[in-house]
Formats: sequence, C-alpha cells, structure tokens
Amino acid sequence: MKFLILVMLLCYSFAFSSGDTTIHTNNWAVLVCTSRFWFNYRHMANTLSLYRTVKRLGIPDERIILMLADDMACNARNEYPAQVFNNENHKLNLYGDNVEVDYRGYEVTVENFLRVLTGRHENAVPRSKRLLSDEGSHILLYMTGHGGDEFLKFQDAEELQSHDLADAVKQMKEKRRFKELMIMVDTCQAATLFNQLQSPGVLAIGSSLKGENSYSHHLDSDVGVSVVDRFTYYTLAFFERLNIYDNASLNSLFRSYDPKLLMSTAYYRTDLYQPHLAEVPVTNFFGSVMETIHTDSVYKAFSSKTSNNKINSEMPVNQLSEHDELQKANIPNDELKTEKQKCPYTQMRVDLHEKLEKFENVDTVVNLGIAVMVFVVMISSSLL
Amino acid sequence: MASLIRSWIPLLILQSFLVAIAFGSKEAEEFSEALLLKPLPDRKVLAHFHFENRAPPSNSHGRHHHLFPKAISQLVQKFRVKEMELSFTQGRWNHEHWGGFDPLSSMNAKPVGVELWAVFDVPQSQVDTSWKNLTHALSGLFCASINFLESSTSYAAPTWGFGTNSDKLRYGSLPREAVCTENLTPWLKLLPCRDKDGISALMNRPSVYRGFYHSQRLHLSTVESGQEGLGSGIVLEQTLTVVLQPETTSVETNMQPSWSLSSLFGRKVVGSCVLAKSSNVYLQLEGRLGHESKNVDTEIEAHKLWKNADFDLSLKPDRVLRESSSLLFIFDIDKSSDSEPFDLGLTWKLPSKWSCQQAPLQATRFLMGSGNERGAIAILLKATESQEKLPGRVVTDGRCTIKANIFQIFPWYVKVYYHTLQIFVDQQQKTDCEVLKKINVSPSTDKVSSGMLEMMLELPCEVKSAAISIEYDKGFLHIDEYPPDANQGFDIPSALISFPSHHASLDFQEELSKSPLLSSFKEKSLVRSYTEVLLVPLTTPDFSMPYNVITITCTIFALYFGSLLNVLRRRIGEEERFLKSQGKKTFGLKQLLSRLTAKIRGRPIEPPSSDSPAAQSSFLSSKLIFKIILVAGAAAAWQYFSTDN
Repeated sequence: MKFLILVMLLCYSFAFSSGDTTIHTNNWAVLVCTSRFWFNYRHMANTLSLYRTVKRLGIPDERIILMLADDMACNARNEYPAQVFNNENHKLNLYGDNVEVDYRGYEVTVENFLRVLTGRHENAVPRSKRLLSDEGSHILLYMTGHGGDEFLKFQDAEELQSHDLADAVKQMKEKRRFKELMIMVDTCQAATLFNQLQSPGVLAIGSSLKGENSYSHHLDSDVGVSVVDRFTYYTLAFFERLNIYDNASLNSLFRSYDPKLLMSTAYYRTDLYQPHLAEVPVTNFFGSVMETIHTDSVYKAFSSKTSNNKINSEMPVNQLSEHDELQKANIPNDELKTEKQKCPYTQMRVDLHEKLEKFENVDTVVNLGIAVMVFVVMISSSLL
Repeated sequence: MASLIRSWIPLLILQSFLVAIAFGSKEAEEFSEALLLKPLPDRKVLAHFHFENRAPPSNSHGRHHHLFPKAISQLVQKFRVKEMELSFTQGRWNHEHWGGFDPLSSMNAKPVGVELWAVFDVPQSQVDTSWKNLTHALSGLFCASINFLESSTSYAAPTWGFGTNSDKLRYGSLPREAVCTENLTPWLKLLPCRDKDGISALMNRPSVYRGFYHSQRLHLSTVESGQEGLGSGIVLEQTLTVVLQPETTSVETNMQPSWSLSSLFGRKVVGSCVLAKSSNVYLQLEGRLGHESKNVDTEIEAHKLWKNADFDLSLKPDRVLRESSSLLFIFDIDKSSDSEPFDLGLTWKLPSKWSCQQAPLQATRFLMGSGNERGAIAILLKATESQEKLPGRVVTDGRCTIKANIFQIFPWYVKVYYHTLQIFVDQQQKTDCEVLKKINVSPSTDKVSSGMLEMMLELPCEVKSAAISIEYDKGFLHIDEYPPDANQGFDIPSALISFPSHHASLDFQEELSKSPLLSSFKEKSLVRSYTEVLLVPLTTPDFSMPYNVITITCTIFALYFGSLLNVLRRRIGEEERFLKSQGKKTFGLKQLLSRLTAKIRGRPIEPPSSDSPAAQSSFLSSKLIFKIILVAGAAAAWQYFSTDN
C-alpha cells in the first residue's frame, strides 16, 4: 500500500516537473483573415504583412498556417494582378513569388479555424494544413476582420465567439499543444474577445477596447480601397526596425502603441502570462530564434532542469531602453500619474478621507471632537 | 606508399566511370523544357510553357529520384494513380480566334477554375476512397480548395462521354476556385530548376496573371514496364498556357503588334536549366502558305524565312520546320548567357491576316426561362466555316455524319427533368432516335450525388446549327449549405463537347530531335471544347431570418404566458382591499413628517412600519440631547467661575 502511494507520488511529481520544464523548441504562427469581399482588402493586406514579418524573422512556411477568406491578388477588381500592397507607395509587394496559402476562400470557416487550433482533423487532411505544435511551441495567433462585443465575424456569415476561442485555447492547453500562446486581434472591440480566456500561458493583445472602433490607416486611390488598419500599421512600423537578431521586448512593442495614432486604445491581457514582459523578446512569438545548446551526449539538455534555468538567465533583456525613455511621455499610465501629482490639495483630502474611512466607530471620533472643541472654546475665551 | 596510392587512383577513377556507365545504361530520369510562342489573329500572343519529367520504371519503387519530384511520385504510389490531370484556369479560351482544331487548344483550353480527373489502379470499391484522399493531398500540395471535390455531390464517374474509357475514372470541377500565385508557386517547385533558371525564369507573376487567359496544367501518367518486379514509370507533363496582349504604340488597327520576350514578360532568358536534356523556344506562325519550296537548303532561302518583307525576327533560328499550314522556328537557348541573354523579338512590317482552324462545331451554352423557380439549359452547336474542309467525316449508309459527344454534370440542386430533353437540328425538332445514338443518364440524388448526362449525337454533315435543351427546377438548400456569398448565384460546371471522329495533330516531320513538345503535338488528340460556366441564381433566404424568428417568437411567448399568468393568478378584489387598508394606516401627521424629512435628506420615504429605526433615532436624539446639555453645562460652569472671580 505504502509502495503504491509512493509510486503515485513519484508519478505526480514527475508529471508536474515535466510540465514545467519543457523548453521552448519551436515557433508556429496561425494568421487569419476572416473577411470576404473586395472592400475588405485591408484585412488581407494586414494578414499578409504579418505573414511577411514572421517569415522574415525566421518562422518557415511549413509552420505558418495562413487563412485568407478571399482572393484579392487575382481579383478582377485588382488593377495590380498578383500583387497586394499595404502602403500607397507600393514599394513592397506582399504577394511575392513565394506565398503559401493553406486555407482560402470558402474553407475559412469557424469550424476549420477551431479544427486547426485543436488539431481535430479528418485523416485525409494533409500535414500542411495542420497545426502540428507540441508542448514546447510558442504560437502566434493573429486574427483580423470585423468584430463586435465578444465576437469576430467570419466571411460575413458566421461568428466566432469569445467562448469558442476560450474553449479552443483551453483544449489546446489540455492537449499540450502550446507552451505559450500570443493572441493578437485587430478588429473593432477586440479586447472583448479575450474576456473568457482562462488558460495559463496565454498573452492577448487587442487593437481596441469595448465600445471602440479600430480604424483603417489610409486609402490607396490607385487600388481604390483602404489598404491597412492602424493597429497593424503601427505594429509593422515597430517590426520593420527589427531584424532576427534584435532583442526588443514585448514591453517595448506594447508601449509603442500610441492611442492618439491608433485612434483606439490597445489592450493587453497579461494576467495569464507569468514571465515579465520586459524580459520576453518579441522574437519569442514573431520569429523563430532558438538557443543552441552544446551537449556532450545526445538529448541530455531536454531532460535536465538546470539547462532550463540557464536559458532563463541567459534570456536577452531589453536593449531598446533608450527608445523606452523617449517613449515614456506617450504612455497613458504615466500621464495619469503626473495628473495626480499636479493637485496636492485634492491628494491630501483623498488621503484624509481614506484614513477616516478606516475608523470603526464614528461616534467616538465625534465625541472626541466635541471634547477638543470644549477645550478650544475654553482656551479662546480665557484669552479674551 | 605514396606511389602505391598514386597507382590506385586511375583504377578508382576507371571503376567509378564503369559504375556510372552501368547506371547510365538503364534509362535515366529526363527533364526537358520548351516554350512555344504563337502570334494570334486578334493581336495577342500565346505563350505555352511545356515541361516534361520522366521517371523510368525502377525496382527501388522510385524512392530515390534525381530530377523527378518526390511529392508526385509519392502521390502516385500511395493512391495508385494511373493517370491524372489537374488544371487551374482563369479566363475563357476564344475558340474563334485562338483555334479549336489543333493539339494546343484541345489539350490546353480548359474550363474556368479547377478541373481534376484521375484514373486509379485500385479495386472498384476503393476508387472513391482513393479519390477523396487524392483531393485532400492535392489541396495541400497546390494551396487550393480541391478538397471540396471529395464530397460525392461534386464529382462524377463518366463512362464514355469524357473520352477516356475506364470505370475507375473520376471527374470533378470547381468553377469558382480562384487561381493565383500561390497555385503557381508549388507547381514551379516541382521543376528541377524551379523558377530560378531556364525558361521558367520568364514567369513574372504580374505579367502572367495580367493576361487574358492562363491555364496551368499538370498531367501525369504511369507507364507500365512489361517486366516482372519493376515498378511503373511516371511521365509528368506540366504546361502553362498564357494569352498576353503585347503593348503597342502603333495606331493602325490592322497591323499586328510587334513584341519581344522582354516586352511580354519583363524578363529575358539567361541560359537554360542545366538539368534539362533539351531546352528550346519555338515560334509558330500560322497561315504562311506563300513559301511553297519544300526544302530550305540554301542559305538565302532560309534567311528569307525569318527576315522578309512581312516580318523580322531579332534572332536567327537554328532550324525551320514546316507543316501544312504553319511554319515553326526553333531556337536553342543553350547559347545564351548573362552577357547575351536570349530575347526573341518579332517585328511586323506589313499588316497580315490569317485565321485559325476551328472545330467542326462551335458550342455555346445558356440559360432559358424566367423567374426563380424553373428554367432550361440549352446547348447550341453552330457550324463553323472550316467544317467542310475538316477530315473525320464518317460516311455510313450513304449519309455523311459528324459525331459529337456531350458530357455534363449537374449539381443536385439543379433538378433536371431528363424527359424534357429536346433536340433541334436546323430549327426543326428531331425525335431522339434520329440523331441521338447513345445516351447515359445518372440522375442526381438530393444532397448525396450529382447528376450526369452523357450523349452521343450523330449530326448530318451539312448541319448549320443544332440545339439541345433540357428543363430543370431549382432545389432548396439547407441554411447551413449556402456559401457566404450565396446571393451571387451558383455555378453549373462547364459541359464538355468532344468530337470522337476528329483528331487534331501537327506533324512537323521532325525526325532528328525527340522534342517532347513536338511529339505531344504529333500524337492524335481528341478535339474537345468546354462551354461556358452557367450562373444560376437560387432562391436565397434572408440569413438574418432565424434571428428575427427567434426574437419575435420569444416576444410572443413572453406576452402570452405573462398575460395568462396574470389572468389566472391575480385577484383584483383582494388587491383593492389591501390598498384600502394601507391607505387608512398611512394617513395623518406622521406621513407628512416623514415626507418632510425625506425631502430634507433627499431620500425616498422610509416605511414607517419598522420599529428598530425609530428606537434608534430616539436613542440618537437622547445622545444628542445629552451632548448639548453637557456643552451647556460646561459653558454655564465656566460662566459661573469666571463671574465669581
């Protein structure tokens, strides 16, 4: 009996430790454009821009699941066949010679999206259409389209609700399909889509709060429609300065969003994510940068906990601190603090009020006050 | 020691050479590339890229390949594909101007969207499973939604109407599938040089997709080796046919535009793909019957062919071949290099006109009827001018006839009434047995399988027009079955018209080189043409209707049950009595006072019935009175003492 308990305890501890010690081994990206029709050109341009960025930062094509709900590049309305631009200067063709679209057109449905996330496919589905991540994977999930309070529209016909997303993520976590997941959503009221999330290791960022719209950045009069959304535009502006060897942290990405430029407030949900954002490089999600560990024997590094700690300590810290100093003026939280310091009187009053609230019985205070008043009256009258 | 090694080296070299010969004696994998350029009568230029990759039968089950793409050989082995063709097309082939009776058009004029057919080498019961798996594999390989062909409502098993007679044949097409760069890229990755070198380097995506027509085709067939133990060889043929409009500055409308490779594609050919066995560029000029001299031996004669009063070629052709109605200039691109890229140009000097050979009958298909409930599909076959000149007429019992096969798939929601089939020849209705020689109908089953119609017509040679019409009803789909853009309408795939007694071939009497492109032209190919895709508007529901229904039902239910409960449970007499008794209680000075205090406090009236607040208030007031007395006492004491002094 004792032996059995011991074995069970051992198993438990082993499972616990193995769940904790898995190290980051690979990167995946799921990029989804959910909008159909030509006037939603910008959503496809958003997705393709992100596709280009993650590819440039090292995620290979076989680890990117690209879902595009419509064909814009070879659309009859497109004056530039086989080309998609995200800027009116037309310097960069996003639809170059090497784009692999995994799901397109009518295939981009809520069902297929959830199947990709949870990995519940038919047997015949080829590997290129599956998210074959494991417990050491960092996944970037980028979605863009038209959304609302706790939903995201697919193809203008069906909706993905925040519950569906949370359930899928929960299932992924249970199936050990990711180590860390970053969800980036560029829609109206994007923040509401994360309301139901509860799985650990999930970091979420949305382009706007509840009740806010996400706007497009500019219109290209040659193409005839808006070509990029603001949130994605400024995300790309941040990433264009980086190359694969940069160590910019997630914090610096989050702080680069200026509500005045976005015309909406970017929202981050970090309560499910343990690591400190200032120490996590953006390439953890947007690129594929692997540590090379030299070992004397084969496969030793993966089982030892010491190597994991070592990696954590070696994790590159934020080197964009100069930028941060410059950008501090733009941060909304800091603005609030300075406002507080501007009015010392109100501050004092608030403090006094707080202290008063702490007293348990008000009557004694009143009595004491009256007693003090008596003394004051006595002194003042004696002086007269 | 060193001398010993030195003496060994030549031996080793010799040995390796022998080994190489031993392997070379077996048939090796071969790759060849070719580009055919052809000016079209309507001032456009056709470019036809042709790549052929042959894997000979080998006993290693084709696991190791030098040139042949592994993805394709695995596909063939896993699904036991005997023959397969996949095409991606955008645009419509103009049979009138671009030709309808040559191997090029009969093989490369494809229906819009994706077309896939495959013959399997598996037992009859497994064919459908293999087909399903094949569509999924191809969709992953070519970045397209080919997997929509897996459902039994989207494919059919033609028996004889398709031209290939096999009971293990499956055919399906997706007319609305978009065709773009992402389909071409994996297709190019199957080539040994990809798009980096050789002729395929010309494929600049924007210029390819700017064209009027582009069709990307992949055809593979297995070649059985007679020997026991050897696997089967595979021949993979990849073609891309593009019709482009050269940019022209000349105002004259009857002058053909001049062009060059760099003006068409924005690129030039720099060297051939080093892995290719042959890489040639062909230029075909039709309607050049003026030069009758058969042998082009003399240098001056040859020179006249490519630099004459009509046109100029910018490069000297390596060879010139002629067929009954066309000239073929052959260029080797091996000689081109970085410093001297291959950039063939054609400059027209005089206006010239010619016409293309056309199929005996030209087919168009259209919808008839009005309203959103029923309609009719009509196929119209019109005689072309060149009909009389064509070979392939069948004379039986003193009657000259033209055979035409029609193969058509109907989606299940287009419910065709086969008994309404009518055939008109030269505006006169014919009974079935007169012209209809053979017919095979497999009716559709709702949501299970699509309908198929195969017909063989035998029309008299002097026919001017023939029309076939068939009526249909529109079905209803379940709300989940509608695509997101259901209001656009639904497509009926192209019908295939083929002429079994007519075969097209171009014989250039070329013996010297075994060019795969020319030998494919030499083979007699069935003359076939695809009709237009039909767009049928189906009745679409208001997709927000379920929501409306739910909300209105909920409202009605709430109203009904609410009022019902009210009627059943409410006792009006009781309520009135209760109100009266309350009214008596709360009247007088007390209420007035409470109202006053409420106004002062800014709170709603507190119910006076409860006891504890009253007690509390009295307690509070006593405390207050005590305090006031205390303060007054203190003040009085103070006064007393102060006056005392």
